Amino acid sequence: MKRIEVKLSLPVVAPLLDVIKEAAVGLETALAAPPALRDLEAEFRTVWEGELLEAQNEDVRALLALFDAQFFAEGVVAFDADNAETVVRACAAVRLRLRARHLGGLTEEVLETGETELAKLPEPVRKAFMCYLFLATLQELIIQHLESSIIES
Amino acid sequence: MVESKTQESPQTDTLTELKLEGLWKVVVLNDPVNLMSYVVMVFKKVLGFDETKARRHMLEVHEQGRSVVWTGLREKAEAYAFTLQQWHLTAILEPDETH
Repeated sequence: MKRIEVKLSLPVVAPLLDVIKEAAVGLETALAAPPALRDLEAEFRTVWEGELLEAQNEDVRALLALFDAQFFAEGVVAFDADNAETVVRACAAVRLRLRARHLGGLTEEVLETGETELAKLPEPVRKAFMCYLFLATLQELIIQHLESSIIES
Repeated sequence: MVESKTQESPQTDTLTELKLEGLWKVVVLNDPVNLMSYVVMVFKKVLGFDETKARRHMLEVHEQGRSVVWTGLREKAEAYAFTLQQWHLTAILEPDETH
């Protein structure tokens, strides 16, 4: 099965890992997109949310695992059938978390297009937004180039 | 007291059944974060849509704020909603009052 290796710019991406890790810590106990299921019984809702959280944590661990010794030595991350889906989902979770925690001041248009003047953003927001864009790039890469071969239906 | 409890339980069950019976809609709501290509991929993977149908529903979500992606019995609707939520889409359930 196809394995794709992507060479990333270490000086650009490495500083963003702190942002991803901070979001990952927050996602250990909170869902990126809390479900709005008002008519569920409380006990069922607890089970439902618990299972979502467990799956979310598994996904985020897979994302963090991309940035291993090979990444820090060569700037390379690798995708294959074992991690593609989980990484794509984890990117979505972290992006939603970044929006909730750091990017609330940006308009929906900016969040959708990714277009804004980075230099005008305060440093924490700028870094979070760069991370948000980086994760979108990872998602696009996996979806566009690997979907047919490694995301099984 | 015992007799009263014996009567209460079936009534509650009946109410629950009435509430959950019938058809339910799985509705996906718009969010500005998830990529269009991601939403299309999720619709194809989770709901079995082909590319055209997945794109049509994605655009409906994007332009109208919501799209009904599936309608059917409650149990299966819950399963779809749960899986869509695993993919971090905002999926809710609504009773289908047209039937």
